[in-house]
Amino acid sequence: MQIPHLLTIVTIGPAVAAGVLGLIPGRYERLHRWLALLASVVLFVVSLFLWTGFNPDVAGFQLVDGPIAWIPQLGINYTLGMDGISLLLVLLTTLLIPVVILASWTSISERVKGFHISLLLLTTGMIGAFLALDLFLFYVFWELMLIPMYFIIGIWGGARRIYAAVKFFIYTMVGSVFMLVAILYLGFFHHQLTGVWSFAYADFLKTAPQLAMGSSILHSPQLLVFLAFALAFAIKVPMFPFHTWLPDAHVEAPTGGSIILAGVLLKLGTYGFLRFNRALFPAAWEACVPLILILAVIGILYGAWVAMVQPDMKKLVAYSSVSHLGFVMLGLAAGTIASTQGAVLQMVNHGLSTGALFLLVGVIYERRHTRLIADYGGIAKVVPIYTGLFLLVTLSSIGLPGLNGFVGEFLILAGSWEKYPAVVVLGALGIIFGAVYMLWMVQRVFWSPFAHEENRDLKDINLREVLAVLPLLVFIVWIGVHPTTFLSPMEAAVRLLLAR
Amino acid sequence: MIGAMHYVFLSLILFVLGLIGVMVRKNFITVLMSLELIFNAANLNLIAFSDRFSSLSGQILAIFIITIAAAEAAIGLGLIIALLRLKDTASLDDANEMRG
Amino acid sequence: MSLSDFIPFVPEIFLAAAGLGILLAGITLGKKGVRTLIGSGVAALIVTAVLVWVFGRPQGGPQVILGGMLVLDNLAVFFKLIMIAASIIALIMSAGFLERSPYGGGEYTSLVLFATVGMMVMASGANLASLYVGLELMALSVYILVGYFKLEVKSNEAAVKYFVLGALSSGILVYGISLVYGTLGTLDLRGIHQALAGMAKLNWAAGLGIVLVGFGMLFKVAIVPFHVWTPDAYEGAPTPVTAFISVGPKAAAFAMFLRIFLGAFEPNIAAWRTVMWVAAAATMIFANTAALTQNNVKRMLAYSSIAHAGYALMGIVAGTAMGLWSVMLYMLIYTFMNLGAFGFVILLESRGYAGETIQDYAGLAKRHPAAAAGMLVFMLGLAGIPPTAGFMGKLYVFAAAVQAGYVGLTVIAVVMSAVSLFYYFRIVVQMYLHDGEEDEPAELIRDRWVEAMIFVCVAATLFIGVYPGPMVGWARAGISALGLG
Repeated sequence: MQIPHLLTIVTIGPAVAAGVLGLIPGRYERLHRWLALLASVVLFVVSLFLWTGFNPDVAGFQLVDGPIAWIPQLGINYTLGMDGISLLLVLLTTLLIPVVILASWTSISERVKGFHISLLLLTTGMIGAFLALDLFLFYVFWELMLIPMYFIIGIWGGARRIYAAVKFFIYTMVGSVFMLVAILYLGFFHHQLTGVWSFAYADFLKTAPQLAMGSSILHSPQLLVFLAFALAFAIKVPMFPFHTWLPDAHVEAPTGGSIILAGVLLKLGTYGFLRFNRALFPAAWEACVPLILILAVIGILYGAWVAMVQPDMKKLVAYSSVSHLGFVMLGLAAGTIASTQGAVLQMVNHGLSTGALFLLVGVIYERRHTRLIADYGGIAKVVPIYTGLFLLVTLSSIGLPGLNGFVGEFLILAGSWEKYPAVVVLGALGIIFGAVYMLWMVQRVFWSPFAHEENRDLKDINLREVLAVLPLLVFIVWIGVHPTTFLSPMEAAVRLLLAR
Repeated sequence: MIGAMHYVFLSLILFVLGLIGVMVRKNFITVLMSLELIFNAANLNLIAFSDRFSSLSGQILAIFIITIAAAEAAIGLGLIIALLRLKDTASLDDANEMRG
Repeated sequence: MSLSDFIPFVPEIFLAAAGLGILLAGITLGKKGVRTLIGSGVAALIVTAVLVWVFGRPQGGPQVILGGMLVLDNLAVFFKLIMIAASIIALIMSAGFLERSPYGGGEYTSLVLFATVGMMVMASGANLASLYVGLELMALSVYILVGYFKLEVKSNEAAVKYFVLGALSSGILVYGISLVYGTLGTLDLRGIHQALAGMAKLNWAAGLGIVLVGFGMLFKVAIVPFHVWTPDAYEGAPTPVTAFISVGPKAAAFAMFLRIFLGAFEPNIAAWRTVMWVAAAATMIFANTAALTQNNVKRMLAYSSIAHAGYALMGIVAGTAMGLWSVMLYMLIYTFMNLGAFGFVILLESRGYAGETIQDYAGLAKRHPAAAAGMLVFMLGLAGIPPTAGFMGKLYVFAAAVQAGYVGLTVIAVVMSAVSLFYYFRIVVQMYLHDGEEDEPAELIRDRWVEAMIFVCVAATLFIGVYPGPMVGWARAGISALGLG
């Protein structure tokens, strides 16, 4: 079955749902929760039609919606389209939204209406950014994500929420303004070459690579435009040394905010690198690969190193994100088909595993209102089911064979080996570190001697929370056992992208 | 023979005097008088050139400027009276409620 | 010249007559008739808008009327309608404010109408003489409006400062005009254009004349370093007047700026463009930085409006057709956003005259979610975040600058836009992230008319932001006016 305008429905649907919630008075909190949950589940079901309607043998964009003239004077169109890469990331997004709503069911108790409206608007921004085929449209969706996330951290966050929200906002904004100039410049350059205004991705694929590469940075428009895009995405990923906003944002954000931040928002950075920097500026990309590799390796090792000494579970997971996304960047920079496929898969994996980790940390935080590792210890006997789930997610995160993390990391490292063996060795070191800090944390929290009497009657995970984490676990195992399901749809798209 | 350039230099001197007056003097009345100097410097120019080009538009504009300057002076004096009533002073330095 | 030559000038004549009538009616009605007077002022403005549409539109190409004093073209119609809309919204917002004050409504309404007449002449002037008279009609009315609350020290002080610097800038402008007249032999804008185009090299007097006219214009649109009057005038003036002068006169001054510089002085663009470049950059940098530390909302918005003049100036620096219509569009968008933002300041003014600080907004989102959401839209719009109109306005100005080769200036502009987020978001942080329990926030005044106008502005800001096509098309129709097509 083929639904017309499917991409538009998936993109705009959440915003429409947000509008409906906006009309209902805020005092009906339960109604808001249920409606938002319903909307997000429906969205997930509808997004499954993307999967069925997708033809894995076609490399280019599919189910294209548009172009509809939006700002004709500048040749700006509304165009959405999907290839294998965006397919996976959109499905990841639609999967995570119901999870977030379930995870926030009791932890968000104030301004329930505002939270769900922000979340749904954020969803529109994220999906739109993954699907936009017009750079201008992409920028609008990119900015659309900023405000709801700012509110999610700033209103429903922890004690230092205002500081964290403002920091998140400033970092993201600084990156995106330069990207706006770069996009305008690309449109202008296209106008200069062809005499027509356009911001279409397909047009830029033809004209952007013709930007001159000069001897120095200042005389090289291609490099400057490349760096303007790279800055926006590097802040989002976040790559070392632009990562400092992330721990603050994660620690202060509510559980749902952390899940969506780690699960999807960070992926927009890596997605942007692949979709725009890699494809539009091949010469500049070649020139910058060593730099990206170095920053990626620093990110892997530094993130792991700092994670090891964190006393706070959430902060530990946040720094592990820096490390994991270093792997993704490594895979993208190495640029072989295997490593790139691994990187895309690892984006999904990280969304699943880290999302689940944040969710589980949130579960225990709600009961004890502390995330310090030292406040727990030996609670495996008190909360056995919770312990089992946490262990499973941890093993997925550290890349145990048979679970999802292993497939992604293996593809990245194997794919990079022929080109950059030294980098692979350092990266592998990061995997070992990762296993050490994650398992050490699990050991201290669940199996060390029982230390705190307060933990005696800790309640085990309840049905709602299991329901929230279950979809993530299904995919964690599925990807680990049968990764081909997820690798084959993106293969043609990755091949096409790398051929440029 | 007095040419147009002579008028320009005279008007320039008046203009600069007026500018300096507005910037340096603190008394509102003196500032108003300096403003008049500036407007009349312009008038002098307009009339001199109008004569040279034998075109009327300069003179017409000069008449407009005289009228407008009168209205401006009326408003200025009105403001001085209001200022005097509120603060018992006509010095611009005493208008200092707002800063930043 | 026959009587029928005056037909295209009917809107202005009607509005001036209505202003006189309201002035007389105000004397007889006294303090009681505030709403009646403002209502009739609004009605007169609406009729004027219709008259502009019926009589004031050009038939075919640009049309010179009244012996070359005025020109009818799309640029004029565009700006006239913006100004009338700004006056209507500002007047309606004033009604409750004036009623709560001890002052009458007759002079107030008629001054707004006279100022509007002046602005309309500025928008369609084809001769330096008519432009100057229009400018003074507007400026003189506005000086009185700023000092209208004559028993408030701040209002009086604002008027004094505004008056001295405004009159000084008029003097500089008119002296420049006299020099231009002296060297080029004409006051007609087209004549000046021809004379300059025919000149191989500028002589010093003509050069000085252009520079002085430029200084005068930069004063009127409040560009650094000629902006010093703005913060005081905006802070001290009664808030509805601040709302009015931050949009109407600014749009009028930009219309005049466009006519003089992109029309008459266009042949010398290479000479004055660099100066404008520096002024635009200095304005954006200085105003945005200065706004960061302001605690008074009106003063902060004053610096913000200076910064916006800097963004708009980029279109003039570009000097292209796109530069021209992007400035027009920017003024349209800015009008709605700024009027809306000042509307909120009016609603928050429950603590006496001009005493509104950013802390007064604390926790507004909890107590008045709809109001806070509206203010959020304006703050996003002024900061230039999609999907608001402010983003579209900036987009076109920036695109025009990039197209003309001014990438450096555009980079400065986007960086300063990012900086501007800090101070706009200080309000958002207060509204949404503080609960306002510790800071004793101010109460909102209930004023249905102000709320209605804010709603109009929110709708316009969002609509133009999502679907800018028609407005852009309309603004673009104005470019044929100056022959830049």
